Amino acid sequence: MKRLYSNKLVIFSLVIPGILVFVFAILAPIALSVYYGFTDYSGMGKATFIGMDNYKQLMMDQVFHKSLLNSLFLAIGFIVIQHPIAIIVAAVLDKLQGKAEGIFRCIYFIPNVISVAVIAYLWKFVYNPDFGLLNNFLKMFGYTGKINWFSTDLAIWSVLIVLIWHGFGWGMLIYYTGIKNIDPVLYEAASIDGANGKTTFLQITLPLMKPVIQINVTMAIISALKQMETVYLLTNGGPGNSTQFAANYLYKQAFKAFKYGYGNSIGIVFIIICLIVTVCLNKLFADKKEVA
Amino acid sequence: MKRKIVSLLLVTAMLALGVMGCGSKSKDKADNNKAVANTENTADTASSDDATKEDATADITAEPVTLKLFSNLPDRKNGQGLVEQTIIDEYMKENQNVKIEVEALDEEAYKTKFKAYAMDGMPDVVSIWGQPSFLDEVLDAGILAELSEADYADYGFVSGSLEGFKKDGKLYGLPRNTDVMFFYYNQKMFEDNGWSVPQTYDELLALADKINGAGLTPVAMDGGDGWPMAIYLTDLMVKINGDCSQIVSDAIANGDFSDPVFTKATQILADSAKAGLFQTGYDSQDYGTAMNLFTNGQAAMFYMGSWEASMALNADIPEEIRNNIRVFTMPTVAEGVGKNTDIAAWNGGGYAVSADSEVKEEAIKFLNYMYQPDKLSKYGWVNGVGMSAQDQSAYMTGNETELQLQILDIVNKATSVSGTPVNDCGPSTFKASIESEIQSVSNGSISVEDFLASIGKACK
Repeated sequence: MKRLYSNKLVIFSLVIPGILVFVFAILAPIALSVYYGFTDYSGMGKATFIGMDNYKQLMMDQVFHKSLLNSLFLAIGFIVIQHPIAIIVAAVLDKLQGKAEGIFRCIYFIPNVISVAVIAYLWKFVYNPDFGLLNNFLKMFGYTGKINWFSTDLAIWSVLIVLIWHGFGWGMLIYYTGIKNIDPVLYEAASIDGANGKTTFLQITLPLMKPVIQINVTMAIISALKQMETVYLLTNGGPGNSTQFAANYLYKQAFKAFKYGYGNSIGIVFIIICLIVTVCLNKLFADKKEVA
Repeated sequence: MKRKIVSLLLVTAMLALGVMGCGSKSKDKADNNKAVANTENTADTASSDDATKEDATADITAEPVTLKLFSNLPDRKNGQGLVEQTIIDEYMKENQNVKIEVEALDEEAYKTKFKAYAMDGMPDVVSIWGQPSFLDEVLDAGILAELSEADYADYGFVSGSLEGFKKDGKLYGLPRNTDVMFFYYNQKMFEDNGWSVPQTYDELLALADKINGAGLTPVAMDGGDGWPMAIYLTDLMVKINGDCSQIVSDAIANGDFSDPVFTKATQILADSAKAGLFQTGYDSQDYGTAMNLFTNGQAAMFYMGSWEASMALNADIPEEIRNNIRVFTMPTVAEGVGKNTDIAAWNGGGYAVSADSEVKEEAIKFLNYMYQPDKLSKYGWVNGVGMSAQDQSAYMTGNETELQLQILDIVNKATSVSGTPVNDCGPSTFKASIESEIQSVSNGSISVEDFLASIGKACK
């Protein structure tokens, strides 16, 4: 068998499907995007080469700047709100043991398995100022006004809450798996030494979870940058462009404004930003590892 | 030896998988078509069954033809979708060799997929809009077949209704409707509360105060989509200045929206939203949500086009509401020259045939069949879906709803029509910009000046 796997023909035949998929499904579309990014292509008819015009326009495009700021806001929201809660819940779940552990683990993961379209419409109804659950809930406490949860000022927060709620289960599950991998002997030793729950969490759980936290933070930032479908269905970037995100803006420009070339230039800048962020995060975490 | 055989088997398996993965395009396409036929149009399947069973006199010896129709009317059981499906069923019954496969998506999804089809091959018959924002790029790309205008001389098209579907004097599509913008209102609710239909814009705002005071929403507005508010702006401009077509075309050509009529109309829109004319959160609510507010009795009025006149016949809407739906047009504006009878109306949606259709002859034959005066026009009227772009006077049945008669009366008495709404007069970049920025200016997050500068920039 070992000899079989050293046969070059076999290696080639096993590797080639993956390479072909990578070339035709990833590299070729990116190369096409690079090409169209230098044209004024509308999506139909002929494309004319216009050099760097699309990129120059993009640098001055305030909506694109706003969408990047919104991505940054979302990433910070994930890191500051979603992940600390996810770690704590994962730690509590770990302590629960028995049936309750399984039940709560499932409950927290449910939003993650529901389709994005369902989630978006569910929350649209929850937020509706006239018949929404949230305003009716407030009515029970005597508040009679109608809060517009998708007003220009509040919309980005409302979107953030939905995304945190939707992605919470996934983050929590990864932390939970990380906690489960920590050797119980450490907790026993800490308990013999008289450490309480808080101390064990801060001194054992958190430090040993560092690699998991690093993965989750990287994934959170990437998913904040890539955000598209929930926002598209929930607000479509509105009102105005108050909840605009790069991927949604790209879609709008390419398919609604018939600026396919410009949409592709957004895509290319978007890929570059994602790559830079990933490299920076890897460096940041790698340096810390070395220091440790 | 054994190792070589295993290697050979593995390589063969990989190649086989690769070949299967690539597959035959035509087979994939055929499978896809089958899937479309099966999943997206069950009515089609059912109706084609009926067709094959019932009409024994039809020509069954002719070559089988499959026509693909791409429609923006996903509801096949109500309104215009029902009319379209009825005609399709009749055509298949009369031409048993023809099978029509329908793929129907709502407007936004439709326009996106239309573009994808434009790159990869269009279906044979497609829904289109005879407006520059949609048609300019489509005609430039040469994807629609030219039609012979002379063929439609006796089809009773309303004068000027074909103009939006032409380029360089050549005809590329046919209009389906005459669209008119109205305030739909609940007459019973008005009578019960002692409210009267406003004649001036100030009266409308005063009425909105009273309706808000009664704990209801004055006007349900689909502000999430942007285009209804852009039509509202057009409606206001007509009331301020009368005919604005030249002002709009100059503004779009020069990217300069500094004409006072734009400033005044936009200011009125922003002031109205601030005064609570629309529902809370109107700028993020979609078509369905806004309409539901009205059809559930939570809103006294609904600003929408004549294509929603079929609400009066929709059994899903409570009888007390659907029987009392009436319309009025945009009231006059103080110091404006436009009269109540100067209305926001245009010929928008329609159909065209793909230039690359392999069954172009049959597709044009079907298109012509749809537009025979006793088809789209008649069925549209009978089903109460508003005004067609053809003369409908011959189809008065005496069973018209009060809403239909009222709409007919308004159109007959109109002293002028606005033509294409402002958002559809420019390139699609301009359309995307105005439909997004109008949300911001109406809710006060940007100034009127910034809004006008921004949409001007989108034209350049």
